[in-house]
Amino acid sequence: MSQLLLRKELDESQRASVPLKAQKNTLLISHGRPPWYGPDGKCISDAFVIGVGGGSASGKVVANSKILSNVYSVGSSDSCCAANSESLGLDSDGPYPLTSQRTLSLSFDWIVTGFTIQDSFYKYHSPKEIELAFESKFDFDHPDAIDMPMFASCLADLKACRQTNIPVYSFAEHQRLQETKYAYGATVIIGPSFSPVDSSISNDQSTAEGIMALHDPALRSLYDLKVFVQCDSDLMLARRITRDVKERGRSLEGILEQYLRYVKPSYDNFVRPTAAFADIIVPGQNNSVAIELISTHTRRQLQERSNSFRPKMVTSSLHAPSLVNEPLENDPNLMILPSTPQLEGIFTILRSKDTNNQDFIFFTDRLSTLLVEHALQFLPYAPLTVTTPLGVKSHGKKLISKYLCGVSILRSGSALERGFRRVINNVPVGTLLIQSNSMDGEPLLLHLKLPVSVRHRSSAEETWVILLDAQIGTGAAAFMSIRILLEHGVKQDHIIFVTFLVARTGGITTLRRAFPHVRIVCGTVDNEMREGWLEGDRGEGNEDGVGRKIWVMNPGMGQIGDRYYL
Amino acid sequence: MSTNGAPVPPPQPSLSKTTASSNGTVPPSVFTLPQTAQLEALYTIIRDKDTSRGDFLFYSDRIIRLLVEEGLNHLPVVKKTVTTPTGSTYVGVGFEGKICGVSILRAGEAMEAGLREVCRSVRIGKILIQRDEETTQPKLFYSKFPQDIAKRYVLLLDPMLATGGSAIKAVDVLMENGVPEDRIIFINLISSPEGLRTFSEKFPRLKVITGWIDQGLNEKAYIIPGLGDFGERRYCE
Repeated sequence: MSQLLLRKELDESQRASVPLKAQKNTLLISHGRPPWYGPDGKCISDAFVIGVGGGSASGKVVANSKILSNVYSVGSSDSCCAANSESLGLDSDGPYPLTSQRTLSLSFDWIVTGFTIQDSFYKYHSPKEIELAFESKFDFDHPDAIDMPMFASCLADLKACRQTNIPVYSFAEHQRLQETKYAYGATVIIGPSFSPVDSSISNDQSTAEGIMALHDPALRSLYDLKVFVQCDSDLMLARRITRDVKERGRSLEGILEQYLRYVKPSYDNFVRPTAAFADIIVPGQNNSVAIELISTHTRRQLQERSNSFRPKMVTSSLHAPSLVNEPLENDPNLMILPSTPQLEGIFTILRSKDTNNQDFIFFTDRLSTLLVEHALQFLPYAPLTVTTPLGVKSHGKKLISKYLCGVSILRSGSALERGFRRVINNVPVGTLLIQSNSMDGEPLLLHLKLPVSVRHRSSAEETWVILLDAQIGTGAAAFMSIRILLEHGVKQDHIIFVTFLVARTGGITTLRRAFPHVRIVCGTVDNEMREGWLEGDRGEGNEDGVGRKIWVMNPGMGQIGDRYYL
Repeated sequence: MSTNGAPVPPPQPSLSKTTASSNGTVPPSVFTLPQTAQLEALYTIIRDKDTSRGDFLFYSDRIIRLLVEEGLNHLPVVKKTVTTPTGSTYVGVGFEGKICGVSILRAGEAMEAGLREVCRSVRIGKILIQRDEETTQPKLFYSKFPQDIAKRYVLLLDPMLATGGSAIKAVDVLMENGVPEDRIIFINLISSPEGLRTFSEKFPRLKVITGWIDQGLNEKAYIIPGLGDFGERRYCE
């Protein structure tokens, strides 16, 4: 009875998530990802991984969703809980709905993020195994069916804040597909837990459901917290029968045969013994106290990991004058555009508060073109000989970067995009939306859409990235974006940051120290950074439009994004 | 810390004087773009006979834009003080003097788009110069200039400087229209050492901005290695 109640609760929370979809932006803004690294550019801590084990139909999924909503419901709005259950992606239609939704949750829903799907990790099958699978004679409940090393490596990547490419398993073909699903940015990973997908697939195989969660030593070592959901066998069987008959329309005989043949031996031999490894054993019903304990623990762990990053960025150079005297002009990896009469004239127009929109846009485009042209000389070139139309050989050079792409930091980074496109016409341009939290000014990662070559670790290592942002003031957004690229495997010396302005006394010092090999190309260096109030900034958490405290560059160019777009 | 925050640029010349070319030194009135690997790669693309027209257009436009930017740096500026959005005073410079472009038909027209990207709505005059079959000398067939051209700085556009014959004729026409020699800036993508020498001996006070100085001319007076006929590749092939 209590199980039905739980299920009902879950259904309700899913329903609650539906109307919220339309307002996804609102939801994201209040749940961006704050800095997860220190001023030295190193990750402060890994993602928090909770491994939940237990038998099939023991109530793991329900327990997980409750943990997640508990972890994030305190001190924030109801929409948060709704977001959680949405990200769980328990119910959806389409042939393979959960993976896609799961991936969405991984890339959008920063805090919650995450579930690793164990049945994605079925091994690559030989033709013979596929034959068996189609005859329903393949034991998917045996640990050997699962590619544990790959699962462990994906989980380890996510735990270490790196991107990972989760394999995709097709139940229709009983085979792992060539494509993978990209996942990045989890702060809490609860797994492996999963509601079986076979409701939409008409065959008799059971799916692994994460029952092997605590089985593999390599996986166990990755968990920060190991939970085992304990439930009596007869109760689990009762739930299974109810579920399979009601939701999947199976016959009682079929269910029992599958249960006795695969599920029960698997539970007795592999699942139940793993309870010995668990930190906490949670009852499969009436478990609200246990869930509360786990949630509190997780929340506290997360709180200890948060830090206030931005003040450290700015003040490190404000309060350490010796560093300021170190002239930026001597930094071999900070390229300032050579000053010419035209460049000075352009800056005079852009800095003037009386410049109209049309002029501001025109000269911004002209400046960004020059900046990107300047930046391109830092790409790798190799000799090349070509034949001219006159039939003469000409010895020249050729760009040899294997992958090249741009990534612009929204919104003001896109002010450089027209210039970028004038110079590089056939490469992808990704985006990162980083906004500062209106409460404390901390940068928040709200959205990321990176070029395909960056998403895959192997190609990311050979990708040159031109990062675009209007200015480096506090450097917080620059810091976060570089951090993200590095976590994807892009090499430091393959990143070229292109920007109009750099503040001498801003976060640039910290940025240079943390990432000395990243090249920065800028139009000019401004001497001063001062605290100011941004008037009438009506935005999230500031509906009244009262002034917001920000760091501004002096003389600066004003709010470049506003002047370019508004 | 100064309040105006004027940029303190490193003493780094934007224009490099080319010291070496196949035929000795370059005249003092000639300036080239910084000879970077990147620029070399751009030229390699447009020199290649197998480059598609789309790529030829895109990459030649990139070079032209850089050339025009450098050409504009030879125009005068005056000190100008503005107020920034933060309320500070910034001492910068303002552009001084009117300019106009003059393209030598037909290849010179290819450079107009690049010019307009850098100088919005700039006026552009045209000159058509062809070889006179009787005298084998360049002859003016057509010209159309802004009325006040004598008061403007003129950016003369022609992508290739081979023998210098038509460029010299064009400057003659401009000077007949009252433009002083030192107010003309000649911009081209590729020039021959011979052409540069002839041209700058005739007009020593006229500045030439060239992207690349090639080896020389062949017997048909084509630039070697060059890139073929610029106008032909841009418009006709």
